[in-house]
Amino acid sequence: MATEEKEKPKGGAARSRLIVRLGAFLVSHNLFVSVVCCIAGFIALLLLPVLAKNTYISENALMPGSANPAFSAQDVMEANRFVKDIIDQRTIEGTGIEIPRLVGQHMAGVGAEVYYHKFLPHKNQFHPLHFFSCTPNTVTVQNNSSCASFGVNSVGIIRAPRGDGKEAIVLVTPYNPWKIELSEALSLGLAFSIFSLLSQVSWLAKDVVWLAADSQFGEYTSVSAWLKDYHSPVFFSESRKMNVDVCHESNSHQDRNHITVKGENANAFRRAGTMAAALVLKVLEKKERQERDSLTIYAEASNGQMPNLDLINIVHYLAVHRQGLRVKIATIGSLLNSVWLRSVGEIVQRLCRVAKSLDPRWKYDITSADYVEGSATLASSMYHQAIGVPTGSHGAFRDYQVDAVTLELSPGFSLKNENSQSAFFLRGGRLIEGVIRSVNNLLEKFHQSFFLYFLTAPNKFVSVGVYMIAFALLIAPLPIVAVAPFSGKNEIRLSTDKGNQTPGYTCTDEIEISIGSWKWLHAAKVVFMTHLWAVIVLLLPYFMSQIPYISPTTSMLVWVAVATSALLILYLILGSPYSNDCEWVLLKSVMIAAAFIGLGLMSIINFSTAQIGALIVVPMCLIVRPLKRHKEVALCMRVMLMTCNLVLAVIGFPPTALLILKGLSEGFGRVGIGDFWVWAEFLWIWNSATYLYLLLVHLPCWALYVHILLHP
Amino acid sequence: MTRIRCYWGWVAAAIAFRLLLICFPENLNLGSRPEVATPLTSLRRLAEGYWLKQSSMSPYAGSMYHGSPLLLSILGPLTITRSEGQPAHFSCSLMFVIVDFVTAMLIHATGQKLMTKCHQSLQFLNLSKLVEASGNVDAGKFASLVFLWNPLTIVTCVGSTTTPIDNFMVVLAIFGACSRLAPLAAFGWVIATHLSLYPVILIVPLILLLCHGLDAPPSKLFQQKNSDASGSSPSSHSHAKSTQTGIQAHYFSWRPALHFLLWASIWSCYVLFLSSISLKGLGGLLEMFKKTHGFILTVQDLSPNIGVLWYFFAEVFDFFRNFFLIVFNMNILFMLLPLAMRLKHRPCFLAFVYLAISSMLKSYPSVGDAALYLGLLGLFANELAGMQFSFFLFCGYIGVSLLSPVMHNLWIWRGTGNANFYFATGIAYACLQTVLVVESVSTMLKYDRMLRKHITT
Repeated sequence: MATEEKEKPKGGAARSRLIVRLGAFLVSHNLFVSVVCCIAGFIALLLLPVLAKNTYISENALMPGSANPAFSAQDVMEANRFVKDIIDQRTIEGTGIEIPRLVGQHMAGVGAEVYYHKFLPHKNQFHPLHFFSCTPNTVTVQNNSSCASFGVNSVGIIRAPRGDGKEAIVLVTPYNPWKIELSEALSLGLAFSIFSLLSQVSWLAKDVVWLAADSQFGEYTSVSAWLKDYHSPVFFSESRKMNVDVCHESNSHQDRNHITVKGENANAFRRAGTMAAALVLKVLEKKERQERDSLTIYAEASNGQMPNLDLINIVHYLAVHRQGLRVKIATIGSLLNSVWLRSVGEIVQRLCRVAKSLDPRWKYDITSADYVEGSATLASSMYHQAIGVPTGSHGAFRDYQVDAVTLELSPGFSLKNENSQSAFFLRGGRLIEGVIRSVNNLLEKFHQSFFLYFLTAPNKFVSVGVYMIAFALLIAPLPIVAVAPFSGKNEIRLSTDKGNQTPGYTCTDEIEISIGSWKWLHAAKVVFMTHLWAVIVLLLPYFMSQIPYISPTTSMLVWVAVATSALLILYLILGSPYSNDCEWVLLKSVMIAAAFIGLGLMSIINFSTAQIGALIVVPMCLIVRPLKRHKEVALCMRVMLMTCNLVLAVIGFPPTALLILKGLSEGFGRVGIGDFWVWAEFLWIWNSATYLYLLLVHLPCWALYVHILLHP
Repeated sequence: MTRIRCYWGWVAAAIAFRLLLICFPENLNLGSRPEVATPLTSLRRLAEGYWLKQSSMSPYAGSMYHGSPLLLSILGPLTITRSEGQPAHFSCSLMFVIVDFVTAMLIHATGQKLMTKCHQSLQFLNLSKLVEASGNVDAGKFASLVFLWNPLTIVTCVGSTTTPIDNFMVVLAIFGACSRLAPLAAFGWVIATHLSLYPVILIVPLILLLCHGLDAPPSKLFQQKNSDASGSSPSSHSHAKSTQTGIQAHYFSWRPALHFLLWASIWSCYVLFLSSISLKGLGGLLEMFKKTHGFILTVQDLSPNIGVLWYFFAEVFDFFRNFFLIVFNMNILFMLLPLAMRLKHRPCFLAFVYLAISSMLKSYPSVGDAALYLGLLGLFANELAGMQFSFFLFCGYIGVSLLSPVMHNLWIWRGTGNANFYFATGIAYACLQTVLVVESVSTMLKYDRMLRKHITT
């Protein structure tokens, strides 16, 4: 009677709903499904360089290279003259204001509106939670210090003859006025020659803003300070402005605030319209000589955001097809020589050949060398996105939804040579002019092309639709394994302990089953407690960064000590997770659900972090089993599981993982305990969501993993 | 019975937690989240409306304020009182904390009544062993704690919206009906309808509650039991007792319904009278109806929220708009009758189902609606103990409530996403609510079936 009744509702449910039946089928084969999905996920990740497509310009309005460049030898001469002026200034001992003033005077000379933007550097502060808000750096300026040092950006604006002043294109050249290098002078010269050319052309429909950014406190600081003031009008009642003004008065004897150009007030902040795009221009002299000038593109902004792919496309198109430059993007050098990757490349090459012989329409033609280079580039692209820290001052623009890239030009020959310098100027100038002309044609914001992509080469990309597959396959087993304990059979198994005592008494039996469906609440309590602990650990550095003069090693030790004691205190208050009513199967399933939600969220905030994190978290979630329960399986299996568990427990812990990685790359002698603190500090200063991921998703997952391993 | 340890401690902790949070409104900035504040409930809009009224303009001028003029008179003065060192809207937030507390207490009292009734009917059906075996929880305490500690309730309370008042009125109406106080029930119902229109559908469960009594197993069971008792056991004592209770269970009188309707009309006249006084010379009642209830029904504000209507009406062609307005508004009404027929023996549960459905289909939903129906769900913890997919629903609610702000951020601030991203979470949320309603109703019916099985065997 009892069994009949038990089976009846189950059978009824299975017959009525196909989707439930399908789900139950998947769940009952969860081991097989999870192994297959995980392996497929890894393979899909390795195949991404093969699946990369060639880039194409999808916005028709851009029309790159449709007009002949007007940048001529005369502009080159102007650039040379300007560079010479700057180099002459360099020899004069000064207050650091000469070069900004010189730049300003030249800007005014070509008829642009000029002003000087003063800003204070901001202190490193703990604000990881601000990554979410619209204004990324809400910096409170400390009152007493830093009056002595503030930076001065010189900004010039050319009003477009054919525009309405609603849109602008920004050109940024970072330089250090205290110690200007030849390469920085060259970038200023290049920017100036383009600027003077643009002041004469008639086709300009968007204002052009040239920001000569004072990079004495870092390139990013100056640009982000300028952007902040650009986007948030400051009124005089606000304390921040007052502060700078007070500083000026106290420094008035230095005549730093008496920069006036032709009698105009050059301190008033001026604006052009909304920014359509921004180009950060840098010149870098490389040690090794190449036959051609090269261009390196940096695009990664904070939290894995990328500029619209079209912007990179036009730069690449003009640089390669018009100016004959060699375009590069960052790669991870050590991967290029790795034997392991090369052997994978060989296999992939062979597979591609087989695939092509099966069906010639499949155009997955990739050589082993291409594969290795593509993977190294992809790895670098992924790494920089995952860290969540911008690779240059272009990152500041992305926080205001402006697409920006850094163009790093490096000449093939020595810059001392006048001829090669002129040729370099000509190529660089024509490239920038072409890009600005294209962006000038733009009717709307960049929106046609991709925002979510990885680059595997300057002209190859993997779009979101493709790379999501690898991640989706990897995390697909998580929900299936998470619901496995709740599927019909297991549920009854969980609750039979008491039901067996009164066989034949259907009433209690049924109620036991029904109570069983809420049993996970105890496990949920443990998981919640662990996350609460993670929040405490997350916020600890905020208090610790208030303590002055503390070394990273001490900080790290204090952090670990306080975190451990917090965990113990939480145990005392809320009870140990090993109490009777918490079964490890349920704990595992709730832990997997939490990890799944966390990874899913992170994949939307910053895909690369989630992808890299999933490579560790997913095996951890799937393989976990109390060490004492291994007796049930065969010996070799037991040993294998045991080693897997222990290895995962070590590399799953973020500090040890970092130490091992660092030890492998730099040698174990140079690794210290404080390294993790330094790294974490680096992340939270940049508002990286990776810090949140590490402490709110990864760390609790690892803690629960260890809990389950040690489960009696 | 599983006792809830230190109930009052938990309640006090919930209140203290809210008080702590209302000290940092700028840091949380919940009032500007589309999930928390809707055009109807935003306190910032209310402050704007109050300012307009103070400068002798209609509070409905422009398209800022869409709430009741009574709220304007009560909360308006509180929005401008600001003492030194206190955050903005502090006194309003303080009031909302108190309102939340009272709501929780009303849920507690309702739960006690439901429990008593449930025990009585189970005892009558000779199923008291079922009560002991199931180790059931004190529904009132459980539900009020669920309500108080639900993160959605906390967010609503702290996020400076007027939703706590709407929820309070709904709970007041249900409590009034449960304790058979027709004037109180009518008052709650009228004010709740006046504030947010959708509680108007609660008239069905309220009248059922007043006329038919509290939630009990289906009346068929009592009849069956009666016939069994009269047939098998000749004991006069038990017979007398059973017929007595049986009559009580079947008793359906129209008198309380008329009573309720009478009171409802009195209260609505009174509310309209007060509103007209408050709006004297500033645009009459007609404008009020157009700007409050009309605004709700015609879905004029298409700014994104967690519902599904804004997206639809942003896409739909203008000449189909009226047709779809009728379709969508009728959608809620279509479900009233079948549900009422199937669940007429459990009016409180029916009220929960109605609230869940209306929060799914209403034009400007917020998490405050979810907070209300999830709180009421706790009242049926014993009956719904066998609910399927509980874990899935739990994870789903957590996932969606975290995903929604992330998608919004991606769309509005980063510009790398688009409206579809945010709408996707809206759809997921609607699906979750559907699963919740379907599962809870089917579990409730299964529970009734189980009772019948126990009586027949």
